[in-house]
Amino acid sequence: MAASVKLLVRRVIRLSHRNIFAAAAGVSGRSGCCWAPSSCRCFSDAAGDRSTHFGFETVPEAEKAKRVYQVFENVAQKYDVMNDAMSLGVHRLWKDALLHVMHPQPGARLLDVAGGTGDIALRFLEYVRTQQDRQKRRAALSGQTPSWQDVSNNYSTEDEQESRESRAVVCDINKEMLKVGKEKADGLDIRAGLSWVVGDAEELPFDDDQFDIYTIAFGIRNVTHIDQALQEALRVLKPGGRFMCLEFSKVTNPVLARLYEAYSFQMIPVLGEVIAGDWKSYQYLVESIRKFPDQEEFKCMIEDAGFYCVQYYNLTGGVVALHSGFKL
Amino acid sequence: MAVLLRGLRAGRTLRGLGSVLAAPSATNPTCSSLRRGFHCAALRLRDESKTHKPSSSSSSSSSSSSTTYHEHYQAHSADQDAAGASRDEPAAEEAARPNTSYQDQSGEQGEEYETEEQLQARILSAALEFVPMHGWSMEAVAAGAETLGLSSASTGMFYNGAGDLVLHFIAQCNAQLTEILAEQHNQVQLGQAEPKKTADFLRDAVETRLRMYTPYIETWPQAMSIVLLPHNIPDSLKHLSTLVDDMWYYAGDRSTDMNWYTKRAALTGIYNTTELVMVQDSSPDFLDTWSFLDNRIQDVVNMAGTAKQVQSTGEAMVQGLVGAAVTLKNLSGMNQKR
Repeated sequence: MAASVKLLVRRVIRLSHRNIFAAAAGVSGRSGCCWAPSSCRCFSDAAGDRSTHFGFETVPEAEKAKRVYQVFENVAQKYDVMNDAMSLGVHRLWKDALLHVMHPQPGARLLDVAGGTGDIALRFLEYVRTQQDRQKRRAALSGQTPSWQDVSNNYSTEDEQESRESRAVVCDINKEMLKVGKEKADGLDIRAGLSWVVGDAEELPFDDDQFDIYTIAFGIRNVTHIDQALQEALRVLKPGGRFMCLEFSKVTNPVLARLYEAYSFQMIPVLGEVIAGDWKSYQYLVESIRKFPDQEEFKCMIEDAGFYCVQYYNLTGGVVALHSGFKL
Repeated sequence: MAVLLRGLRAGRTLRGLGSVLAAPSATNPTCSSLRRGFHCAALRLRDESKTHKPSSSSSSSSSSSSTTYHEHYQAHSADQDAAGASRDEPAAEEAARPNTSYQDQSGEQGEEYETEEQLQARILSAALEFVPMHGWSMEAVAAGAETLGLSSASTGMFYNGAGDLVLHFIAQCNAQLTEILAEQHNQVQLGQAEPKKTADFLRDAVETRLRMYTPYIETWPQAMSIVLLPHNIPDSLKHLSTLVDDMWYYAGDRSTDMNWYTKRAALTGIYNTTELVMVQDSSPDFLDTWSFLDNRIQDVVNMAGTAKQVQSTGEAMVQGLVGAAVTLKNLSGMNQKR
């Protein structure tokens, strides 16, 4: 009894700390309004018309989804090329780090939301297949002279192996991005265990408790209602399932922060214009990075959604943060 | 080595058994002697601090998220009931799932809250039965999680990987041994059993403890190598020192001088070498190992006896020499005054 009261008190203290932090951050934030979508909603609810941020602009919520769709429709064809150009190829290391931390077991089912061109899903399938090969090799080495018992056991477990194939589902709201991804997968001749589904992160077209791992890489900042996306993630994950989110975040080092800001606002839209012929989309990209909550704030949002053991890892000095939580 | 043990012992009584959770928390021994009373206070402090969830767990976030865990637990148990009914489980898992599945526990409202550490301990205990098949690895942990109805992705909670599994198992074995020794102690106190001689007691204690490894003896070398990795050495040394300390305590050791160190060092040496012999022993029921253990304990007993003998022989020799010198002086007439 006393223990639960103490826990309640601690939760109240933690929430009040967060409110203080959010208020302080709002004062010192880059743009005055809309530090977090939730606080913004409360503010403008009184006015009756709900609005949110689209980059540094303020737009009605209904419009944001449409405009994001247009942005990604425009960039779909050159998406991968632009990723390489803007991050100087480092985005591959970030995605490899995500897989490394994930360390999926054979037979795991992955849902890659806002997966677009399928980078994470393809890496996942390759990782699991390498692991399975290694396991088979190890089993073959150790079982060089199997007894008759072992041989008959192997025959019976082979059927189970089929059902333990790992599967990846790529879900994206944008058909263009999925098309590009499917072409890429076909080009690499990977078809087994991969499916492409059109869906909204705030309203996933899947049943409850379906997936072992839910990933969203560089997509959650484009979602209008982040907490709804987190709730959906909780819903479709199996108990014990893992939520992983790779997203641009706040750089901790002040020197690096200055360089990063200069690079984002001066170089990236220019690259966008030169390579993809689209300045505005890439202006939206860097602005939306600035509007996204920082590591601790996002961690609190994930915990509020109902995940446990929430942790984050900073990659490249905080340019990208990898958040991970479990549904227990 | 002894100083290290002493330091670890001090750290242990001050901090309690921090990170690795020993499963049965109800094993608070009856506090009879003063020193044991101090230990009891440390244990009670540990239990209390467990419910307050100190940041001794691997990530600081888990301490804050576990407060919300308790609030969410009540809210989510209702959701999980509904979710559990509609869950689509593959047939193989259904058959393998025992009654202690996670879903069943959440359905019982009004039961004790389960902390994250307790859940992790349950997963690791369930993983132990898959160790003969998969070795001490994350695959065994994933299989264990699946028997509890959790996804294999929950193995991501164990940042130390296989080390977590091995250390959990060692802690579990130590707790079991302490229970057994306490039970025997009670029996002796109640007069239902005869008190054993120290050498026999230690021999039986070491044998009981090592027999807990028999189901996993094939893969135990792998476990030993994991436990010797640099980042696991502090934890494994802690477990070893508490084990040896418990054994000597129940053997009746109340020494407060240098003997405390020498006794524990000797028993540590005996335990480690016997473990190594056991791992490569192929005799039936490890008879060679137990005879090796007998010989080592006998060696230590003999050495203690020999030390005493050497001391008394030395004294006798000195007395004899002094007597001979006085006699010579008398014979040579130097003592006489002329």
